[in-house]
Amino acid sequence: MYRQGIEGLPYYLGVRSLADIATRDDRVVVLNILGGESSHVTPISHAFSGGNIVFGTSPGRGGQVLETPGGDIPVYNNVREGLDAGHSFNAGVVYLPPTAVRDGVAELVRVNPGLKKIVIITEKVAVHDAREIRALGQANGVDIFGGNCLGVADSWNRVRIGGALGGDHPEESLQQGSVAIFSNSGGFTTTIAQYLATGGWGTTTLISSGKDVYIHYAARDFAYGLANDPRSKAAVLYVEPGGYYEQELAFDKPVVACVVGRWKTKLTRAVGHAGALAGSGDRAEDKERWFMEAFGTEGLFTPEAADPSRLVSPKGAVVTNISHIPAALTAVMALHGAAPDFAPRGSLALKPWMANDQRLDLPAELALAPVQAMAPYDQQIGALGRQIGAQVARQNMKDRSGASLMDSRTQVTSVHGITVLDLARVPLEANFALPLVHEIGSENDRAMLDIAVAAEVNLVGDATLVAAEAAREAGNTPNTVMAAAASIVGSNRVGRALACARALIDLFAFSGLTDPRDEDFDVAAIAVDEATRALFAARPDEADDPRPEAMTQAVRDRNCRSAFVRFLERLDQRPSRDALLAAIAMTIAWEPLMRKKISRLTAETLPWYLRLYGVMVGASIPAHNHQPGSLCGIPRAERFGTWTMADLCYLAITGKKPTAAQARPLQMLIGLLISNGPGAISAQGAKGAVSADGPQTPGRVQINKAMVGFLTHTGYSHGGNGYEGMAFLLDEFKDTDLRDPTDADHGLDLKARAHVFAERYAVAKTQAKEMGREVRALPGVHHPVFRGDAVNYDPRERFIAQALAEDGAYNIFHAYYLELVQALYDVGASPYVFCVNVDAVIAALLLGLLWTDYKTGALSERDLESAAFTVFLYGRMVGAAAEIDDHLNRGRNMDTRTPADRCGYVV
Amino acid sequence: MQLTGMLHGAKLLSHVEFPVSEVLGPAASEGEIRDLIDRHGLIFIKPQFKGGVGKKGQAGLIGKARDLKTALAEKERLYFAEHRHGNVVAKANGVSFEGAVPAEHEVYFSITDDTHFRAPTMTLTHRGGVEIEELSKSEIATVPFEALTGLKAFVVANALSDIGAPKEIISPLVQHLPKLWELVHHYGITTLELNPIRMRPGRGGRLTPVACDFKCGFDRDDPRVGRLGLSNHLFAADISEFEQEVNQLRTYQGQSDVFVINDKGTILAPTFGGGANSLVTEVLGDAAIISSDFGGNPPYDKMKQVMAICYRHFLAQSNVLFIIGGKANNTDIHETFRAMADALRDYFSAHGPTPLYVVVGRGGPNLVRGFGALAEACDSLGVPYRFFGFDSAISEIVNYAQRVDAWMKAGGREQIAAALGIKPAA
Repeated sequence: MYRQGIEGLPYYLGVRSLADIATRDDRVVVLNILGGESSHVTPISHAFSGGNIVFGTSPGRGGQVLETPGGDIPVYNNVREGLDAGHSFNAGVVYLPPTAVRDGVAELVRVNPGLKKIVIITEKVAVHDAREIRALGQANGVDIFGGNCLGVADSWNRVRIGGALGGDHPEESLQQGSVAIFSNSGGFTTTIAQYLATGGWGTTTLISSGKDVYIHYAARDFAYGLANDPRSKAAVLYVEPGGYYEQELAFDKPVVACVVGRWKTKLTRAVGHAGALAGSGDRAEDKERWFMEAFGTEGLFTPEAADPSRLVSPKGAVVTNISHIPAALTAVMALHGAAPDFAPRGSLALKPWMANDQRLDLPAELALAPVQAMAPYDQQIGALGRQIGAQVARQNMKDRSGASLMDSRTQVTSVHGITVLDLARVPLEANFALPLVHEIGSENDRAMLDIAVAAEVNLVGDATLVAAEAAREAGNTPNTVMAAAASIVGSNRVGRALACARALIDLFAFSGLTDPRDEDFDVAAIAVDEATRALFAARPDEADDPRPEAMTQAVRDRNCRSAFVRFLERLDQRPSRDALLAAIAMTIAWEPLMRKKISRLTAETLPWYLRLYGVMVGASIPAHNHQPGSLCGIPRAERFGTWTMADLCYLAITGKKPTAAQARPLQMLIGLLISNGPGAISAQGAKGAVSADGPQTPGRVQINKAMVGFLTHTGYSHGGNGYEGMAFLLDEFKDTDLRDPTDADHGLDLKARAHVFAERYAVAKTQAKEMGREVRALPGVHHPVFRGDAVNYDPRERFIAQALAEDGAYNIFHAYYLELVQALYDVGASPYVFCVNVDAVIAALLLGLLWTDYKTGALSERDLESAAFTVFLYGRMVGAAAEIDDHLNRGRNMDTRTPADRCGYVV
Repeated sequence: MQLTGMLHGAKLLSHVEFPVSEVLGPAASEGEIRDLIDRHGLIFIKPQFKGGVGKKGQAGLIGKARDLKTALAEKERLYFAEHRHGNVVAKANGVSFEGAVPAEHEVYFSITDDTHFRAPTMTLTHRGGVEIEELSKSEIATVPFEALTGLKAFVVANALSDIGAPKEIISPLVQHLPKLWELVHHYGITTLELNPIRMRPGRGGRLTPVACDFKCGFDRDDPRVGRLGLSNHLFAADISEFEQEVNQLRTYQGQSDVFVINDKGTILAPTFGGGANSLVTEVLGDAAIISSDFGGNPPYDKMKQVMAICYRHFLAQSNVLFIIGGKANNTDIHETFRAMADALRDYFSAHGPTPLYVVVGRGGPNLVRGFGALAEACDSLGVPYRFFGFDSAISEIVNYAQRVDAWMKAGGREQIAAALGIKPAA
């Protein structure tokens, strides 16, 4: 049963011309006007369409209004109330949830006899309801658009009804012209209009039809309206498989049909468009054929086609790619002698608006340079670009870290994505930079870091040294000695260096400098005001400080390149040590900062860490070795100009410069010790210290105090126990005449020694058992994770063993451990071959370094213990810096506290 | 969501008291099967497939038995039968035993929503039991009817008259067929097909229509389906584990429609909008892992959850994360991109980095803020990217994503892995 609309049609259709679909005379009511989608979209529609919405409904919220740029829209509880209030309307827009849509349509139809059209935006309306909605519209003479659509719009009338065609800026996409659009896709309705403009074509009426099983205003109805719309000279149809709406259609104007969805024959379930599920005769291929038969064309049009004449006729063309629509339309219209509506606006060529290649070597076809986006997006992107460095969201960081992660399966910890095993194989200066740049720095960066730390490590005449020495004399462990010195390096001691770092970032951020090693970068172009210039200058009371000159000389000696140092030198004044420290820090941090890998906060605080590194390493060297101009007898110029971090650390432990063969195991040791993840006590100490200062006010966080937090959270058990393995090895080897533990030709029968020990151990173990005593655990042997196989390995030990083998290096203590685990099994002291764990490797490497000095009496057993602890601290210094920086950037105030309900009380 | 066969069909038809053939399930005892044979003389043994599987008879997958021994042999043959129909392979799990219905007349009947008429439409012929496509049009009545009043007896009577149906079948069909509309309309069914309905003679020669095969499709957007209390596992063959997880987040606003195209694919393409979905999936072909439509302005939490599922299932194998849509009309780009970015950070935190290149093509509200949020995540994760605005052709962006995928396969993946510090698997 249908009411007769347009005569001659076997169903109801009221709209004769596309020009009548969305007009300035339409008066609109919106159901569920205050719903999430409507409350965003309706104000824009209302303003764009000259205030065409008379009221909206929202049950229970009558009396409210929806504010819009075009004036407030009154809200009633229901349609009847709105009519009673004197409003009248001819169009309804339905934003109700799917189960309510049918009833909303019934309300509109029954309550308002003047109703002519309904637009249903809602998707996922049940087919059951769609059937009844269709019947309601047919019986009552109402045209329905949708559902699951974005409504209708008219570029000539500057009106849109329902939906959001044209998005937030309808005027951008709805440009007046001669082409009508009918699209199964709401998103593509706007996108096609956008694309047409690049071919110079504007639009008349745009209809987002939806693609449910029931398309209430379908292609057939559109064809009728197109014929009667004198403004529309042509049309574009975007069509997907499923349904017979487009079969045997007759258009009397040129049409470009875009049929997309051949792949949908694979589908057994619809995705997005409920009706786009093809049966046996309504696949995309079928629809392409229907249109080609209607147009008299022989294939699919593409702009690249060799012979497009067969693919285009005066009646139209079929494409399967929406970006081919403008070219197809132009080709079809050319056969009518019709030119585009206006000069092409924009192009569809690939235009990256934003990109980051992350320093990869991309092929040219991929490395498309970003282009300036169209207004107003260009300004917005520009504003984004003015934001310097990464932005990190704050969250509770208790027991969590964005810096380190221990893999519980392999027990291997990573810091900023790099495992400690890999860190053990890179130079120490790269490791010391890692926490703050989040990646392994370049050769240039490493050399710069060497200079920065070398410039801070000699503490002669400074309170830090006095404090450290006093702590040492008082019988404290190395961590406490370091903590005493670090406590002195408070914010006032780094204030100017940090201010210099901030100033350099401000000066260079938009200068175009991407690589601070770039010697061609014109530092003269950096304008600097007097106050800033003064900030970089050494004060009169620093006239005796020789370090600024020594640092700049070292930069030259090491062939380092730095736009920042060049900039300071060009200021024609004597730079301060702080300014040079900041310049070095910025050289190291600049690339990751510009790539937004690290935050501005991290870059700005880098000088503090560099100074702390120097002071903490310096504090581990007894005071008498600090002399004006020399450290342990090494002159300043040599140290600044050539020494590495490994050299400095070795010097601190032994008082000597290492050979390359000695520096390498130390580097490995420190690398291995960098982190055990955020759960380690040392990390917890650092994190707690940051948390207590309140990272949400980062300027108040005392980074030196956080280092002290790490140091106070190490001790005899955590850090000092590294000596246990050494003590065990000392016991085993002190009666030998071993001279060089790195010489494989040592002449000792390790197998036999191990066997003897194992026998003894087996006996002791049996006796202990009989006595009911606990058996003494062997340091460096066995691991709770790497156990249970016939032969077990700690993968970390294997990694180091392999690295040593690759270097052709030998370590007798390591070799002994390997014999020992086998011997323990052979004599029945272990149920399977235990692993040699990573602690054994650390003890073996360390004792290997110190053995000769121990044998000569230069180092006592106490010194060995202290050295073992100190090496641990050097490694963890890096890990702690990573946690401090991470917590400073990500954490919340007091976030490491444990809620009372998770704490226990023990009596 | 489809169901086929009388095992389930008989239960559904009982809701509207439509007569059905007697049917036993796979758990039927030998005694029950023997009794069924005793009552009907002949029984059919049919494999049970999940979902819709056609043309079983032609594939020799319907067994017949007049004695228990044959019945059991056929049960064994068909219990785990495999059936290939088109490019779909189905595996049976169980059989049904159906009593034969002696009849002279076989009827084909279906109700579906026909887009020719935009109305519910009945298809009816008294020449049933064969493929409907094999009959001439004059033998088939295809009749749209009014949805608000439903399938009325007179519609059936008129149709049977039009196709010259034998008069003895008209009255029973007019009496029983309208019930089927109740089943379709009130239980969220979109398509119902009974073929054959066999006209069983009763006392005095009066015929009763008995449904002997059953096929129906459900509308998953219709809550009325829930009235039938059907177990989800009946439709499980349709849905991968991934889809099931995402479907739990499905709401009426869409935002989470997914379909796994190729679980070995290398481009993970969260797509926004039905049109973009069609175009992108078409151009990507087998490289696409999923086909999706996350449009409809999903809120932050939901978008993040959906993406977390996508990443967890597919990011490790993906070369390209390809976020693509047209110029959004309504979807807030900042909210959706921020959610995808945060989910990406979470994934990297939980699973470590994975070699990835991010390609984006998008337009819409808060576009640049959204780009900014995603760029920030990629910047800090070390993931390379290119973002295109809505002024680049979507299809060109798809081609770009494919070029990136090809480069990744030709060594780019290793390059990114090295840059991210990922070791090659041992």
